Amino acid sequence: MKVSLKRDVWLYLFLLPGLSFFLLFKYAPLYGEILAFKDFRIVDGIWNSPWAGFKHFDRLFHDEEFWTILRNTLLLNLYNIVFVFPAPIVLALLLNELRLAWYKRLVQNLLYLPNFISWVVLGGIVVTVLSPSTGVVNHILARVFGIDPVYFMVSTFWWPIVFTLSSIWQTAGWGTILYSAAMAGIDPGLYEAARIDGAGKARQIWHITLPGIRGTIAILLILQMGRMMDVGFEQVYNMQNAAVYSVSDVISTYVYRIGLQGAQYSFATAVGLFQGVIGLILVLTVNQIIKKMGEDGLW
Amino acid sequence: MVKRSLAAANALLLAVFAFITLFPFLNVLAYSFSSSRAIAAGEVFVWPVEFNVAAFGKLIDDGQLFVAMKNTVIITVVGTLLQMAATTLAAYALSKKRLKGRKAFLGMILFTMLFGGGLIPLFLLLRNLQILDSFWAIWLPSLVSAYNLFVMKSFFETLPAELEESATIDGAGDPVIFWNIVVPLSKSILAAISLFYAVGMWNVYSQAVYFLNDSELMPLLVRLYQMIQQTSETLLDSSEASLIQPESIKAAAIVIAIAPILCVYPFLQKYFVKGVLLGSVKG
Repeated sequence: MKVSLKRDVWLYLFLLPGLSFFLLFKYAPLYGEILAFKDFRIVDGIWNSPWAGFKHFDRLFHDEEFWTILRNTLLLNLYNIVFVFPAPIVLALLLNELRLAWYKRLVQNLLYLPNFISWVVLGGIVVTVLSPSTGVVNHILARVFGIDPVYFMVSTFWWPIVFTLSSIWQTAGWGTILYSAAMAGIDPGLYEAARIDGAGKARQIWHITLPGIRGTIAILLILQMGRMMDVGFEQVYNMQNAAVYSVSDVISTYVYRIGLQGAQYSFATAVGLFQGVIGLILVLTVNQIIKKMGEDGLW
Repeated sequence: MVKRSLAAANALLLAVFAFITLFPFLNVLAYSFSSSRAIAAGEVFVWPVEFNVAAFGKLIDDGQLFVAMKNTVIITVVGTLLQMAATTLAAYALSKKRLKGRKAFLGMILFTMLFGGGLIPLFLLLRNLQILDSFWAIWLPSLVSAYNLFVMKSFFETLPAELEESATIDGAGDPVIFWNIVVPLSKSILAAISLFYAVGMWNVYSQAVYFLNDSELMPLLVRLYQMIQQTSETLLDSSEASLIQPESIKAAAIVIAIAPILCVYPFLQKYFVKGVLLGSVKG
């Protein structure tokens, strides 16, 4: 041990900043989780605040607002898996059939772009183009179909649809990269053999391309399901408004509102802990499923 | 013949998708340069109508957006440097199989990807450290991305061991090997990861909302959010007059906020793709 420490002293020094970061900003906050079982008082600090048992969890499970928020979180994630997840697969299949290299690169570069733009900007753009009085979408609807302005962003019917479509807008292009790479790895001889056997494009895609990317689809799908409890704060926060709280409020925005804005630290910690534990269980379960399917696990 | 037209239809379909993806950006760009009258009349689609730069003039006069942009530049430059230094050094150390405790360190870092302490404990920690309301509250809690660390570590592991062995025989220590051999061989991955970090810092938003109160420290996107909210307060009532002018100002603010990304994007795009593919090889 002594020898290796002396030999590798530089390596340990290299490791020091990164490791301190994980200890201080990832592990130390875990200690703060005990707040979920206490009544936090600022003057007493975390340790000296009185114990509260499961009081906050009891309140959580009897809170109607919380069930709405949990439902929204799960529903938006469900839409995500059903509608957003397949989009890059379809796009990658189409891109894979393009023969002109420069054209393919051009289309890819345009499709990747929204991935690099923050939700503040994307949300601002969505609100602008969908505005009932000045938005271009309503102008087109009025002009082409003679429809009265639709209040997309303040309608509890339209909001989840807009949210889901905007997710496709941001992620579908960038999501094709891994699928395209998997498709590039498929043996061209398979396609040739299929052509000789008289298989058309559709059958080639069904029998060769899709099976060729099955592993990638499986892993990404299961990773996605592991995030069922999590809807990103930024996307919701930048698209929601008071009129659609009932369908748009999710755990991350709820924790921010009651925790940081409302200073109910203990209760908000309990909500966060609940989310974290369910998330952990989901990821562990999912990893087992990946392994059972004969694919490499995540670790 | 059928095959030909199928290929053409496919190319056309993708052109349509690309256009739909791009259209909202073009529309907002056109709004920012159009007259209030043309916007209200619904004449603006992808090209400015009655071209003018009044909205940009207003924003430049106001000046707040540029204070915010200065903050974002500082956050991005310093933040990316700190992140790269911490990530690269740790990844190099962890790529050495001879390092005692390596497995434990890796397991410890992996766990942080699966379970986090949540927002409130982190907030209280930052308050105890007295770094709320400073850029440190942005930089420190996101110093190392475990994912980027693993990508970089796997890349370092693929470098040929012989190069380092011969350097060791020549008496070079780890700092020399790292700086003179590993860094020059890893330019592409270092470029890719720096870009991911830089984009993350440029787009920093939620951490600023959580941890910064001082309006002097607001990054660009928080300021932009405030401007968008101010103008969309009026979203619920459809009285035209109050909406017209704010729309083009809002559009101009959005254009200013994304212009830097759009300018560098075409040149750096290939590094991003490389970064994703390196990461997928298995972290």
